[in-house]
Amino acid sequence: MTTRAVETWTLEPLVKFVKEAGARLVLVMTSAGQVLAQHGFSRAVDVMSAAALGAAIMASTDEMARQLHQPPFAALNHQGERHGIFLAGLATPRGRLVALVVYDLDVSSLGLVQLFFEQLAADLQAASPKDSVPKQVLAADFERQLSDSLNTLFGR
Amino acid sequence: MADEIKTLSSQLAQDPDSLVFLRLGELLRQKGQLDTAHRVAVTGLERHPHLPDAHDLYARILADKHDYERAFDEWDMALRIAPDHVGALKGLAFLYFKVGDVQQAAAHLEAAQRVAPDDPGVAQALAIARGEGAAAEPEPIAPAAQPIEEARVFAGLEGAQEGLLLLDASGRVLGGALKDPAGRDVTEAVAAYLAGVSQEAARTVKLLGLGKWTGLAAEGHLGHVHLAPPSSDALLLVVRDRAVPMGRLAIIAQRAALAARRWLEAHA
Amino acid sequence: MTAPAAAYGKALDLITRVRGVRGAMLVSAEDGIVVAEQLMEGIKGPAVSALAASVATRLRRAMEAAGVGASLFWHLQAEHGALLVVPTPGGTLVVAVAEPDVNVGLVRLELLRAAEVVG
Repeated sequence: MTTRAVETWTLEPLVKFVKEAGARLVLVMTSAGQVLAQHGFSRAVDVMSAAALGAAIMASTDEMARQLHQPPFAALNHQGERHGIFLAGLATPRGRLVALVVYDLDVSSLGLVQLFFEQLAADLQAASPKDSVPKQVLAADFERQLSDSLNTLFGR
Repeated sequence: MADEIKTLSSQLAQDPDSLVFLRLGELLRQKGQLDTAHRVAVTGLERHPHLPDAHDLYARILADKHDYERAFDEWDMALRIAPDHVGALKGLAFLYFKVGDVQQAAAHLEAAQRVAPDDPGVAQALAIARGEGAAAEPEPIAPAAQPIEEARVFAGLEGAQEGLLLLDASGRVLGGALKDPAGRDVTEAVAAYLAGVSQEAARTVKLLGLGKWTGLAAEGHLGHVHLAPPSSDALLLVVRDRAVPMGRLAIIAQRAALAARRWLEAHA
Repeated sequence: MTAPAAAYGKALDLITRVRGVRGAMLVSAEDGIVVAEQLMEGIKGPAVSALAASVATRLRRAMEAAGVGASLFWHLQAEHGALLVVPTPGGTLVVAVAEPDVNVGLVRLELLRAAEVVG
């Protein structure tokens, strides 16, 4: 399984996190679902689906927190029979990012993922370009950018 | 002697905490009644676990029964409690002599001589160990020798089923083998899991700032295990049934690790 | 039936009173999350819990494969400290973080007592 990044500064922190936490699948994306790096996915359609769903879950729970007059939830965890899904936001100079982590319960645990997620967040914050401003994505550019990203994420 | 055994047995029955078990056990041993001597010694040890003479007695009985590994442990325990215990020093010297480690044998006998300079048995044994002449045989503790623990560890590394497994860092078996209580060979399966255990143990102590890991002892329902890293890229597992206390298992593991280290250096 | 949370504090108290123990915790074995803790400063609870649970899982598999049965107690020894752990039938780990020269027998006894309370 390989780790690939659209924005290269995310690569090293992600590789380190995958190794330490024993994660099976990881996406690092913006709050809008634009993927910056991925590990473990083999199909583009899976990346797109996971990113869209992950971003939607985060947006829904952010809204719930807002309605409860609370700050956004730090992290969410869904535990299945064989896998767990962990979603958490992290702040970087690049803007707020979201990590979606799928882990095998035989190999890792929520505790390990949480433990090393803190390090991932710190590493991404440190590695993030300091003076970059996220570009506004125009509808016309969107499909091209998505296609370019997918090509990068799958090493084509 | 029979009368004395009877008298001492009666005294012990009336006062189970009495130290007469030491004399009684020794007389039984000399008479060759090893199983009875064994029971007396074990019962005495349970009541007096910190008495070096009790460990010495037990070790002598074990040596007579050819259980040299445990005899070694008991004499070693006696020395930990009383570093100048002459009986333990002589016993260990005998065992080292039997496996051909004359240097260690002589060292222990010299230590015994410093404590008991007038002991003729020590002087004779030392003379033999130093090859200084045909003195009388040292007081026989046991008949024909079997390889004791260190040699057996090497034998284990060459494939004997001793409950001893030596692995490299990737979990590949370098020596030894394991069988489960049903007699099935579980060497490969255990080796595969152990690599993960050692990696996780190393990572744990590193991340918690505890330095390098030196061992992992575990008590199970059916047996005990002790894992140790004899070198930075090897792993040693010792498995024993529950009859062997964990403290003793730790001592066995220490010695096995030492032997494993020598073996690794010799085969590097 | 497991004990109420108040009993956990008392159980951990007895462990931390042993000389040489720097902290005690109850950890969910399945996910490595802290259930309760009493730790001296400088000990990272979430790290201890996650890593202890991970070692416990791997050790359990190795011991089952070796035929020695489920673990009753284990002791991870290191140059500058130790982890001592008793798994409970209910899926909790009772964990002590200790100095390397701690009285292992005493800590083990207190861990086993705490395990009875926790269930």
